[in-house]
Amino acid sequence: MPGSDEVTPSTSVDGMRNRRCIHRVAIMAFWIFTAGLLAGCFGVKPYPNTLDKNLHVQSFTESGSWFSRVRTAVDIHRVGKDCAIDYEGTVQLTEPTTDIGIQPDRWSHLVFVFASSSFWANRSGTITYETLLKPRPHYHYAVAVRYKNDLYHVAIRETPPNRSTGREIEPLALSACRSSSGQK
Amino acid sequence: MNRYPLLMTALSILTLSGCVSHPQTAEEFRKVVPGAFSGKVETFEVDRPFSQVAGTFQKMGPNCLSKTIKTTSQTNMSYQVIVTTYKPTVLVTGKKAELHVQFHHEQGVIAVSKEPVGGYYLLVADAQPVTASKTRIDLYRPSMGHGVLIQAVKNWATGENVGCPDLTK
Repeated sequence: MPGSDEVTPSTSVDGMRNRRCIHRVAIMAFWIFTAGLLAGCFGVKPYPNTLDKNLHVQSFTESGSWFSRVRTAVDIHRVGKDCAIDYEGTVQLTEPTTDIGIQPDRWSHLVFVFASSSFWANRSGTITYETLLKPRPHYHYAVAVRYKNDLYHVAIRETPPNRSTGREIEPLALSACRSSSGQK
Repeated sequence: MNRYPLLMTALSILTLSGCVSHPQTAEEFRKVVPGAFSGKVETFEVDRPFSQVAGTFQKMGPNCLSKTIKTTSQTNMSYQVIVTTYKPTVLVTGKKAELHVQFHHEQGVIAVSKEPVGGYYLLVADAQPVTASKTRIDLYRPSMGHGVLIQAVKNWATGENVGCPDLTK
């Protein structure tokens, strides 16, 4: 049957295409599921970073050893009434400069994370630098994040609009918020 | 090779060391460190006014050392998690600035002797003015390990490359 000769190969090609398509979708679904699962397991949620960028982070990370690695990131938490914190997300500081938008006129709790891991000793650890920050509207905040030879340093400089110089802000612990709200 | 005697000796040393009390105050720590196998006293002068050194101790001590650190290490045979809380104390008078660093293992290490309030003493740094622009530092510190902490405290004294030590190292 001529018709069936034509139909059969056509069905076979379509079937192969469908199978390939299903295969691709399955692979994509697997990776999306795995990525979601991993993100969920490690508790790392990307910070939406949709607000006007008022935090300009310059980061420099050097572990000082061939056998170790240091990963730098900043966790951003919203600070609510009674100083309760709500994790908003994490920005990985993998590039030398990163711009972040933090809600102005509201307290945020910033946690700069230095996570080191040693391949040689199969050892890992995390150290953090934490501060409260309440960005003023239209102000800019330059953040210098440095990790070198096992020493780290975080400095935040606040600059008013249309100015080139600013002042360095001292870190403010979350306990300061809790003690001030407790006094009220 | 029979390892039993070796094990017993090691356990005996550990038990005996548990009987020897650790310094309970910073002053006791200063007295014990010069004669201790694992302690060292280092004295040096820095070209910096006393007030600046004291100011750096006051700023960096609490910011850098009020930390609880979790480290994990893993081999084929073991998995260890150690949680350590560090406690800095900075005392400043007109003629002396003291930095005390204590540590307490929250998890992963058993305390074998009486622990002072705030944890075992790890390091004490005393700064005293020599001249208007020079300050003398007496550092009572471990002779092995904790190199990052020691370097950070020295940097706080000299004012060069001031940063916080990665206490996971």
